[in-house]
Amino acid sequence: MNEELILQHGLTLDEFQVIRKYLNRDLSIEELGIFSAMWNEHCCYKTSKKWLKKLPTDNEIVIQGPGENAGVIDLQDNDGIAFKIESHNHPSYIEPFNGSATGVGGILRDIFTMGARPIATLDSIRFGLIETEKTKYLLNGVVHGIGHYGNCIGIPNIGGECEFESTYDFNNLVNAMAVGHVQKDKIFYSKPKSIGGLIVYIGSKTGKDGIHGASMASDVFSEEDEDEKRPSVQVGDPFMEKLLMEGCLELMSSGLIESMQDMGAAGITSSSVEMASKGNVGVYINLDKVPLRQPLSAYEILLSESQERMLAVIDKKNNHNVREILQKWQIDYEVIGEITDTKRVVFESNNKKVVDLPVEIIVDDAPEYDREFYIPRKRKNKDFDFSKIKLEDMIINLLTNLNYLDKSWVFDQYDSTVMGDTIREPGQSSGIVKIHGTQKVIGASTDCNPLYIRINPYEGMKYTVAESYRNLIACNINPLAITNNLNFASPLDPNIMGELVLSIHGLKTAAVKFNTPIVSGNVSLYNQTNEIPIKPTPVIGMVGSNMDLNKINTNKFCEIGNKILILGKQLTKNCSPYLLQDQKIAFNICEFNDLEVLDLDFEKKIANCVLELSDLKCIMSCNDISRGGIFSALLKMQYKDMGFRVKVPDPIDLFCEYSAGYVIEIRSKDFEEVTSFLTKKGAEYHEIGEIIKEGIEINSKKFDYFDIMNKYRNDFEKIIS
Amino acid sequence: MSFKSAVITFPGSNCDRDALCYLKDLTKGEVYKIWHEETSLPKVDLVILPGGFSFGDYLRSGAMASKSKIIDEVVKHANDNRYLLGICNGFQILTEIGLLEGALIRNKKLKFLGKNCFIKKKFKNNFNLSIKDNQILQIPVAHNEGNFYCDTETLNLLKNNEQIAFEYCKGEFSNTEENINGSIEAIAGITNKKKNVLGMMPHPERAYSNFHQSQDGRLIIESLIS
Repeated sequence: MNEELILQHGLTLDEFQVIRKYLNRDLSIEELGIFSAMWNEHCCYKTSKKWLKKLPTDNEIVIQGPGENAGVIDLQDNDGIAFKIESHNHPSYIEPFNGSATGVGGILRDIFTMGARPIATLDSIRFGLIETEKTKYLLNGVVHGIGHYGNCIGIPNIGGECEFESTYDFNNLVNAMAVGHVQKDKIFYSKPKSIGGLIVYIGSKTGKDGIHGASMASDVFSEEDEDEKRPSVQVGDPFMEKLLMEGCLELMSSGLIESMQDMGAAGITSSSVEMASKGNVGVYINLDKVPLRQPLSAYEILLSESQERMLAVIDKKNNHNVREILQKWQIDYEVIGEITDTKRVVFESNNKKVVDLPVEIIVDDAPEYDREFYIPRKRKNKDFDFSKIKLEDMIINLLTNLNYLDKSWVFDQYDSTVMGDTIREPGQSSGIVKIHGTQKVIGASTDCNPLYIRINPYEGMKYTVAESYRNLIACNINPLAITNNLNFASPLDPNIMGELVLSIHGLKTAAVKFNTPIVSGNVSLYNQTNEIPIKPTPVIGMVGSNMDLNKINTNKFCEIGNKILILGKQLTKNCSPYLLQDQKIAFNICEFNDLEVLDLDFEKKIANCVLELSDLKCIMSCNDISRGGIFSALLKMQYKDMGFRVKVPDPIDLFCEYSAGYVIEIRSKDFEEVTSFLTKKGAEYHEIGEIIKEGIEINSKKFDYFDIMNKYRNDFEKIIS
Repeated sequence: MSFKSAVITFPGSNCDRDALCYLKDLTKGEVYKIWHEETSLPKVDLVILPGGFSFGDYLRSGAMASKSKIIDEVVKHANDNRYLLGICNGFQILTEIGLLEGALIRNKKLKFLGKNCFIKKKFKNNFNLSIKDNQILQIPVAHNEGNFYCDTETLNLLKNNEQIAFEYCKGEFSNTEENINGSIEAIAGITNKKKNVLGMMPHPERAYSNFHQSQDGRLIIESLIS
């Protein structure tokens, strides 16, 4: 086999030699395709595996950790929650609409493959600076794509993030998360149960779209590639997915299938190999039986990433009943093979075995690298000089920076109330939905602080986890578990590899401390274009619950006259780029200042105070303090005709970041009870002001309430148009 | 006598479960779930055509659903002077069947609109009896094609026959526009001439439970039951 062909398939010559030696024969082109699909970063985590193993993945509520289509946690009674986050970065840069749409489609399939009905989605999306036409095009396309898919299939979008920074100019990020509800005794796994079971193909016909998508997703980009790679982006059909979801859920609840696997990245190859590997069995598939949209070669069928397709294993006796249900939903269905005891993966086409490989060599012998990494140099830790910054300027800086403005323009394009169980819509600290037919609620939040992680990957990752944690706590939601999406540039650069390693350590530290194990996740490497790497962006999605929907807190002001209290500790050494007008300079300045060590015990202590006070019904509303400080938190809390009057020793106090920072609204009559509770717990608090009608007052200076609120709510759309 | 109702499910309907819960919780009567390929409809007081993307909204929103097998029965039900309510995609289907006038075209900003909207009643009918004049209702919308359009002649007929049931308006503290999707005369819902068929874009079935942001959606079922 010639070297060029091997390299084109994303394999190194060393990797190829391992395969060649094991098989002791030449490979067919189809077999080379299989290794190309299965041995890339996207499918086998060859770079990250060594480090991911260090993460905590289990505790008393984990039903399924990483390794299945999605993680599942226990929510008492017979309720389980399945969730996962996944990236669709490269496809969304090449073709934003279909790239992001199929990202949503893929993550939803991961959820219902487990037997769970999806009940919420969230999206963490990041773009370059909005000044370029390209960013506007990407933003419009990505938001449209996410909305198009999720709205049509009818799953509420309850939150996420949307941020802009120059580091993503040539490499935007689209991470989609989905949450599903499953009955604990009806969870489905990818492991087949019996030899002789029929392998059935369910869903859309196979076409040329997405061939080599998984290996593309593991590639470094260059600008010229963009047009050439466009045919590799999958095209989504949410209507088909809706039918597929209803059909599959009906099959599963009728007990007609044994196991199921989504044909996602690397299509039929990956799903069948995984099935064989999980069950320690073999698979035989006749490719001539695969429903096709157009004439395709065996090689193309194996690597197609056409969307909305599933592979399931059924008992022969159920064949008729399965067909009947799928016909009702107008879904294509074909028996294409069976489970064997050979422990080999065999694909046949035109009466010829085109692939005949032991499962072992594809899965167990997949490469695992211990790549070289450098520990990032330590930055200086000094107090940042805020003294020259004026209050008026800080407010203007905040209100002219997309990252701090209200993002209704994005969220209004998503259906957030379909399914009728939405309690907290996007744009607040966390999205909340009710488990249908119960009093239980699930809250979810996605976060990442790429600047902090660049400065100090270990501490920065702790901050990222703590932010999600606070997002949930503020709503009186108990944080339970995490899914992660590690977006990094090329791990072949030891500096970037170092950021990856240290941030995983930070994630581990925080997850252990908060008892929030990592139950699912995704790794997206080589996020760089023209050798410009993105900032490290390990996004996490945190899920939590409250068993009583009547106990959750609102993030919005409740009543004029109520007092405003601040919990937590001000971080004077962490520099916040938004305090400076010129964002490019700001990021440079901030990057030279190290982070304060985040005290996770303190985070927990304050969080427990918030939870207890919430249960005592002493908290009228609550929001966490994150980027943008107290001022930004207060703007988010504004509701109806309510504003705020605050007094602080120094205006900068309103814009600094906090550890364990929360703004809480309490009634005057509860003041004694709340403050003595906090004092007893040793939790510092500051009473900074009160809620007033139609006004914003800071240290006796009056600001134009309507002007500020109008800018906060409407300027996002103006800036991006 | 107990109030009986039914919800039709088309492939791609995604508010059928929501509509079922809405009817079960508020009417306390029997609610039937009907698949689009069925050819008979039980005798009920109210049929809901739910929201969603029936048949993927391919061709034109509601166009393919309007040719489903069950539609003949739905038309008979309406001709029998019994209540028929189309919500969102259901409204689009009703205009495609021809039971309601006009058409729903793309929102004026050409973007999907998923948010709370505010409506008030325009002319009285059995669907809005329990709603006071000038009472502002907060109910979510979620649509891409909710921009109601008809020619001047039809509009005059709708007005003269008092067929306009709801119109969009401004909420007390909200900064949303008065006419969120650009509908002609801010029309949010219309009835047929006999006023037993209502089509509306806002989703009352997402605003009735105590945990919903608003409970104003109750008023429509309460109007029919009272």
